[in-house]
Amino acid sequence: MSDLAIRALQLAKQYKIGEAQHNTLRDQITAGVKSLLKRSEEKKRRKDIFWALDDVSFEIKTGEMVGIIGHNGAGKSTLLKVLSRITEPTQGRAEIHGRVGSLLEVGTGFHFELTGRENVYLYGAILGMTKAEIERKFKKIVEFSEIEQFLDTAVKHYSSGMYVRLAFAVAAHLDPEILLIDEVLSVGDLAFQRKCMEQARSLRESDATVIVVSHNMFSIKAMCDRVLYFSHGKILADGPPNEVIPLYEKDILGGAGALDTPRWAEAKLGNDPAQRPVVITDMRILDEAGAPRTVLDFGERARVRVKYEMRQSIKNLNFVIALIRSDGVACCNYSAELDGFKICDKLGEGAFEVLMPPIKLVADLYSIHVIAWDEKFQQLYGAQIGGSFHVRHKLFNGHFGVFHESAEWSYLKSADEKNQTIPSIKVKPN
Amino acid sequence: MGTPAKPAPVETTMPLRGNSRTRPMAVVQASKGWLRLDLRPVWEYHGLLYFLVWRDIKVRYKQTVIGAAWAICQPLLTMMIFAVIFGRFAKIPSDNVPYPIFAFAGLLPWTYFSQSITRSGASLVSDANLIRKIYFPRLIIPASAVVAPLVDFAFSFLILLVMMAWYRVTPKWAVATLPLFVFLVVCAALGASLWLSALNVRYRDVGHAIPFLVQFWMYASPIVYPLSLIPKRWHVLYSLNPMVAVVEGFRWGLLGKESPEFASILIGSAVSLILLITGLVFFKRMERTFADIV
Repeated sequence: MSDLAIRALQLAKQYKIGEAQHNTLRDQITAGVKSLLKRSEEKKRRKDIFWALDDVSFEIKTGEMVGIIGHNGAGKSTLLKVLSRITEPTQGRAEIHGRVGSLLEVGTGFHFELTGRENVYLYGAILGMTKAEIERKFKKIVEFSEIEQFLDTAVKHYSSGMYVRLAFAVAAHLDPEILLIDEVLSVGDLAFQRKCMEQARSLRESDATVIVVSHNMFSIKAMCDRVLYFSHGKILADGPPNEVIPLYEKDILGGAGALDTPRWAEAKLGNDPAQRPVVITDMRILDEAGAPRTVLDFGERARVRVKYEMRQSIKNLNFVIALIRSDGVACCNYSAELDGFKICDKLGEGAFEVLMPPIKLVADLYSIHVIAWDEKFQQLYGAQIGGSFHVRHKLFNGHFGVFHESAEWSYLKSADEKNQTIPSIKVKPN
Repeated sequence: MGTPAKPAPVETTMPLRGNSRTRPMAVVQASKGWLRLDLRPVWEYHGLLYFLVWRDIKVRYKQTVIGAAWAICQPLLTMMIFAVIFGRFAKIPSDNVPYPIFAFAGLLPWTYFSQSITRSGASLVSDANLIRKIYFPRLIIPASAVVAPLVDFAFSFLILLVMMAWYRVTPKWAVATLPLFVFLVVCAALGASLWLSALNVRYRDVGHAIPFLVQFWMYASPIVYPLSLIPKRWHVLYSLNPMVAVVEGFRWGLLGKESPEFASILIGSAVSLILLITGLVFFKRMERTFADIV
């Protein structure tokens, strides 16, 4: 038996919902009188009892990185609250071996009137660090947050991005043995998210146990080696991500896979991919030879394979493959309509492949959004983030611009402008 | 992990068989019974207490022009009003010392006490975000609201010293007992705060009642009038108010009042202690549900 980090034994947490909560004395008195008058109230109340966690048992070993997935209200956050001792379980017990750090919300405890520097100390203390510990880590925290110049400005003048950076920087240096994280990785821009994920990975190298609640299947797949799937307060499945995540995706989409929706599209399409006319069920990035890849060398060609499900017959459907850099800049689009490719309007499942031209984007992380437009880019039918890949190049990075392409250079015979013949343009493949 | 692991257990037990490492182990489970007063986690988080007090003090006078001078102005101005209305017009007796200093010696602990219960009463609710999202002993929150006004208290105390020099009031040996009465007022304030803050989480009515309670409590304490004004036969009942003992002690220690009511001081101390202990028990009991109902 190897080291246990957490052992939960029949954990259960009960909440009373609706009428059963009386926040003022008056409410409680009126409710009391009512229940005297009406015996039926008693029956009704029993219905208002709700088990957020229902007989949950599991063991997590030291060093494991566990993802917790499930629908809203499945009990994921309640589990983290119970494990981090914010609220007591109604029944059952959990044994926790090691110092616990929990990040259920980034920046809770920040005070807007205080400066960044002061908040580092305050938030650090709230998260359970000692003053000496914060002092020791202060430089690292500030470096991580990248907001050194605003350190003595009151936090109320910060942009929300700066605020989150600073808060996460403190939290990331908590160095716990067991880290409980609830959706915090979904804050900040992608570049910062990547930094946070790296921090989580380095925690793991130091043998810390990490439990993450997330709706982002991509980050769960990338980070975790075990997934617990919660539904109605119970564990429905427990196993490696490639076994458990498909179960969950099957449940929420009824057979179709679930890929995240870009934030801009959520307003137009709603949160539930199952309600959309076009659902992207799968997307793969392959190299020219057909092998799956997550890293592409600059100048390489890649194939993007998309599986989708058409739920309404749409004429003139126009799929767009958009490459979005980690800081949110849309770098390029490949459009079926513009490239003269017709998408058939047959209902049900379909699949297509896009062979991209040699990639000229500089080294960075790019995510691929698959977007279903009409031919005029007016009506949105679906949009999902299919996956992401890195571009590798030893020189070309953000300092070289968005993309890099060779140009044609030539010497002029004399510096006199009037005497010039324009050199003939030769197109040279890269 | 270069840092020493900090245990904050609800209940520590022996390491399990097979778990060879000596790491802190915490057990999370529903707590039972009324009388579980485990105050160890509170001590382990004393650093947080320090930072919450520091936050309160820092934030309190931000964006004010005269800043911390407010700490002095409030009791000073109140004392002046009292001196004019009760001392000059109503001619209330003042134990043979000048009325202004008589009133100020009472206002000093009273201002601290009323600040404490006003601030801590709302403290849990205003820090609801913290309670919902982060674990730490909840007791730290009202405790910090009781500790923070001690700074204001210290400033006002300096004013009192200046006034004593001005009125040429010299304290007698009894001044040595003063720390005891400071301790007593902190106990009473903490006890009342624990009750009020925990109740306010469940019943927000408490928040509305506190300003009235503070006003009522002040007139039920010998601040503007001396204890001797209360008929002797009511003294025992009257002394159930712990502020009677506190104010009596302050006047004894500072102004050299001849014969303090030791019976009142004893009763008040006992009531303070009971208030504190029951407050702790009640708070601990309610603490379990704070995150769910706040």
